[in-house]
Amino acid sequence: MASANRGISGSSSGTDGAWANRYRDRWSWDKVTYGSHSVDCYPGGCLWRVFSKDGKVVREEQAGIATPVEAGIPDMNPMGCQKGACWSHCLYSQDRVTQPLKRVGERGEGKFEPVSWDDALTDIADAILDAIEEQGPEAVLTLLTPEVGAMPARLLATSLGLPTTDGNAEFQDFSPGWHLTWGLFNPTASMDDWFLAELTLIWHANPVYTNIQWYHYLAEARYNGGEVVTVAPDYSPSAIHADYHVPVRIGTDAALALAMCKVIIDAELYQKQFVQEQTDLPLLVRRDDGRFLRECDVSEGGRDDQFFWWDALSGSLTAAPRNTLATMGVDPALDGIYTATLKDGKTVEVEPVFARLRRRLEDYTPERAAEICRINPENIRTLARKVATRKTKIFIGWNSGKYYHGDLMERAMALLLGLTGNWGKKGTGTRSWAVMGMDGTSFMHRKQGPGQAEAQKLISGMIAMRQLVSAGDPTMTPEMIQNRVAEQAVELGGLGNTFPPAFLWYHQFGYKERWDDPENNDPSMKRSFSEYLEEAVEKGWWDPSYSKRYEQVTPQVLFESGGNLLRRQRGGQKLLLEHLWPKLKMIVSCDYRITTTGLYSDYILPAAQHYEKLGSSMPSVHHLNYVLCDRATEPAGDSLPDIEIGLRLVEKFEERARKRGLKEFTDSKGNVRNLENLTARLTFDGALRDEEKRFDESVRDNAVYGILPKGTTLETLREKGQVRFTNWGMAGHGISQASTLRPDEVHNPLRWHTEDKIPYDTLVRRAQYYIDHEWFLEAGEELPMHKEPPNHGGAKRRFQMTSGHNRWSIHSMNMTNNIILNTHRGEPFVFVNDADATELGIENGEQVRLVNNDGDCLIAAKISPSCRPGQVILYNGFEPYMHENWYSQADLEAGHVKHLGMVGNYGHLKYRVFSWQPIPADRAVRVDIERVR
Amino acid sequence: MNPGSRRQLAWVFDLNKCIGCQTCSVACKVLWNDKEEGADHQWWMTVNTQPGRGTPRDWETMGGGYPGNDGIQLGKLPTPEEFGGGWDFNYDEVLRGGHGRSVHLEKTSGSKSWGMNWDEDEGGGEFPNAYYFYLPRMCNHCTRPACLEACPSDALFKREEDGLVLRDEDACQGNEQCARACPYKKIYFNKARKVSQHCIGCFPRIEKGVAPACVRQCPGRAAFIGFLDDEAGYVSKLVRKWKVALPLHPEMGTEPNVYYVPPLAPAPLREDGGFDENAQRIPMAYLESLFGGSVRGALDVLRSELDRKRRGLDSELMDLLILYRWQDALGHLDRDPAEITWS
Repeated sequence: MASANRGISGSSSGTDGAWANRYRDRWSWDKVTYGSHSVDCYPGGCLWRVFSKDGKVVREEQAGIATPVEAGIPDMNPMGCQKGACWSHCLYSQDRVTQPLKRVGERGEGKFEPVSWDDALTDIADAILDAIEEQGPEAVLTLLTPEVGAMPARLLATSLGLPTTDGNAEFQDFSPGWHLTWGLFNPTASMDDWFLAELTLIWHANPVYTNIQWYHYLAEARYNGGEVVTVAPDYSPSAIHADYHVPVRIGTDAALALAMCKVIIDAELYQKQFVQEQTDLPLLVRRDDGRFLRECDVSEGGRDDQFFWWDALSGSLTAAPRNTLATMGVDPALDGIYTATLKDGKTVEVEPVFARLRRRLEDYTPERAAEICRINPENIRTLARKVATRKTKIFIGWNSGKYYHGDLMERAMALLLGLTGNWGKKGTGTRSWAVMGMDGTSFMHRKQGPGQAEAQKLISGMIAMRQLVSAGDPTMTPEMIQNRVAEQAVELGGLGNTFPPAFLWYHQFGYKERWDDPENNDPSMKRSFSEYLEEAVEKGWWDPSYSKRYEQVTPQVLFESGGNLLRRQRGGQKLLLEHLWPKLKMIVSCDYRITTTGLYSDYILPAAQHYEKLGSSMPSVHHLNYVLCDRATEPAGDSLPDIEIGLRLVEKFEERARKRGLKEFTDSKGNVRNLENLTARLTFDGALRDEEKRFDESVRDNAVYGILPKGTTLETLREKGQVRFTNWGMAGHGISQASTLRPDEVHNPLRWHTEDKIPYDTLVRRAQYYIDHEWFLEAGEELPMHKEPPNHGGAKRRFQMTSGHNRWSIHSMNMTNNIILNTHRGEPFVFVNDADATELGIENGEQVRLVNNDGDCLIAAKISPSCRPGQVILYNGFEPYMHENWYSQADLEAGHVKHLGMVGNYGHLKYRVFSWQPIPADRAVRVDIERVR
Repeated sequence: MNPGSRRQLAWVFDLNKCIGCQTCSVACKVLWNDKEEGADHQWWMTVNTQPGRGTPRDWETMGGGYPGNDGIQLGKLPTPEEFGGGWDFNYDEVLRGGHGRSVHLEKTSGSKSWGMNWDEDEGGGEFPNAYYFYLPRMCNHCTRPACLEACPSDALFKREEDGLVLRDEDACQGNEQCARACPYKKIYFNKARKVSQHCIGCFPRIEKGVAPACVRQCPGRAAFIGFLDDEAGYVSKLVRKWKVALPLHPEMGTEPNVYYVPPLAPAPLREDGGFDENAQRIPMAYLESLFGGSVRGALDVLRSELDRKRRGLDSELMDLLILYRWQDALGHLDRDPAEITWS
């Protein structure tokens, strides 16, 4: 055995040998740059240092230089997760693509040959031109994914007016219940505000997986005296550090929330003034037809959007002001039955929404809800009292909206918060994703020339446009003005001719049959799905340029950049390969890695990886920083930055159009698109052709648009790495925050409403729980309620499948990184409850087949008592080609849209980009597990 | 012999903040043994779900250390299958082979049935009272390192200035006695280079005033480092003053220098589904099997200090664990590495 040791007996510390120098050398570098990973991960926004040596990136490490925003709140350091910590590994990994590839075998076969950029782009441009000439630009599909890699498609789409699918349906991170209630896209507090919650309900979220760099604020809120409750059907990874876990039965969350509401109302714990002022609960509803009492009911020529209170003080019908939330000396009654005289002299009984809500809540006593949710009724009472007496935040992700009746769940949660006054102040509200502050990039193509004076001119133009829209109506709020402008001019946000894709899917992707299958439909539907859709289209609720156009137009070109459609699309590859693929004459995948969609494409265009190009991370309300992602090294092989690919594609398109003598075409909205000097217009005669100049311009413009501090440039960003936003800007979702950014405070949305009493952009100009649209009344959903998830996949299937973003990858992007693969099982897996597994004779790690009416997939079983009996959990993001035979999770998902999502003629239920529209459901589908070996 | 050092660096991991994200593991891997030949399967830092079989599989049953505080025990040498992992995959075959759907991405090397985090999120108990937590593990840089005593080549040593247990890889003969003796089974064998390897405590970083990657890169802000005798430091306060940070398997007798704030976990549910506020979801016996008898007292302190905060009172302990200023977790090793220029 050993004797002496060097540390003690030697002259030095023992680390002076050659072996030690090898380690020292491994840690050294010759260049440091700021980096980030501009991906759709929300979190996102992590600032890293990227270390390079001899022209290659060797590693990265979180910068850790964030300074605290508000005194007494922990700082945000060190932001970054395990994916980020091995991002550099992707630069040189085997799934990286560094040459343009042309398919030479069958689609999906994986036979490609390298070609030149010129040959690839010529072929692609010709296919796009053919499509435009043969059927019109609608035959070219670009898909809105938010990754920076989407830039090539977006640039092309923007400059040509090509249609782009709306991301809210495409990747389905929409919370319809928030929109129904507030008329806003995801009002979201900054993550440092989580620290201030006295009670956090982690609900439809799994931040332990999905908010790795920010989860600490939840742990720290708990250490600060707050309580954390996790509501989830399984003993979720995000339950392990909670004070309480509420194991709610799958899909019954609305019943739980409504039972809490009942407890709060019965015990008179609700915040009466908040309810009277901020919500529609005091508005009067006619007892004869269930519709709001409107001014046009009571007086000739009256408005159809003027609603009424019953003033308990004066005992009279009183118009609820349209220009303020303040009650103006009125005491709007919450209960009682009153009489209103209609314009024809007849009378009608009316009652406040609140009174109807009381009756609705009779169905949700804690005992009744306990049966529905399979939880103890005392737990419901305990939780309700906590919510009513503390600053409460519902920490929610993008899970609820993916349930067929997720809108009902979210409306019920919003009701819980509204009754208890839990929004518009610190430590309260909800959470979801929201982006902001991309004006510099978004508006670039609308400027008339380079330079910040042009940005200033653009602002003047936009302000004039807003004045035009609001002219004559002094009651219009900033939210209303912005949203009306967005409804009229969808291009304002730089998102091109964006449209809700449900109609395209229905007509061209093969969903019609599935959506009309009675087994899949909700029992409250009185007619087939098709009949609802036809009514919505016939009545003109949706622009015919997409809602009718795809009855005839056959998709001919699919340009997928920065996305992976064959993994993502709910309803699965099988449906797409059978219905869509045969119609397509050209499929392009533009990415830095070979995806399943890439393998099924005709061309793969190699994009530069994040460290090989210039950009900023996804600007998010969560962190409020503009984060530089600098170019640390040159693009590998023949790969190119996204902006360069986009510009080359436009150049090639222009050249090939000229060659065929095509000078213009008319797009689906009737706009004539001039193809001459396309590139010159995009680049301002070449002034902004260069990636660096273009990026610098967008940063400088951002300072002009007011979202970055004056004087911010690429150069100053290279010194600081990141800079905090100063304001929301004019595009994007900033306005949805309905709150002014404060430089030294955490951000809380909705303060314009709670503090300044500015009306909401909903039909009734208040947080709206009562939707008196005929379809909602027919479905019984005028108020929040609980409905069981429909039996997608087959009523007799034994298990319900839930899902969520995984821990190991942002979608499929990092899933094939072999460092990451080594941190889990290195293959796709599904969680199965241990007792269920025993009963079925399944061993841990065994390959099984998940199967239902819509499809199947082969996958390894992972057995755990944390998974609820009767549940299987398949976290999404496994690359389809990781599964034997490549069918994956999406092949089990029905991809239904709820028929109520097609309402388009009601107040705030009207389409604009990234807003209200039909969205697909994929949660709680029914599956069976079959043994295969 | 029991080799001493003048001072001892120690790590603390707060298991109520650890979320099992593996950022520490990946940071360590990318820095030290991503590109190193023969190190595919090496993860000097790992995070496992407890209860579980961990890595190497069933390591807690393999022996080693100084059980019963007697002489050194040479335990079992973990096999490559028990470590598992070290996977490479058939990327070319799938992506460029022209085989279409007849092939899929599969492991081409390493165990097919175990890896460094194979039993992630499985845990124990019975639904709805299942339980688990995450346990980050690395070399414990023990005060009484069994590996050092077991090494016949005199390759291991304990650094005088900070107590790191290091290996002169040029002197290592690769006979793996150290791996038998280590009760934590955190020593790997590099087949290509025929040497054993383990966590180097990021000594190149430490000598430049930069915290180890596992600590500095922990996004959960669950990791702390500092000298045990630095009374003002967070590590000393958590370990010595508040006594809420405990060593893992102290009964193995090596006097480890990695400490853990034990997990609280949510209230379990009674038979009727009601919250059982006063019961322990993670069985106390299980926690005691990991952290020894002191874990009960540590949890009591944590709960009573949490309660103070909930009643609006001050708590130094809670403020330490909140870690208002991240750099405080790094102790004296709070230098930004980007400031360094290599000559």
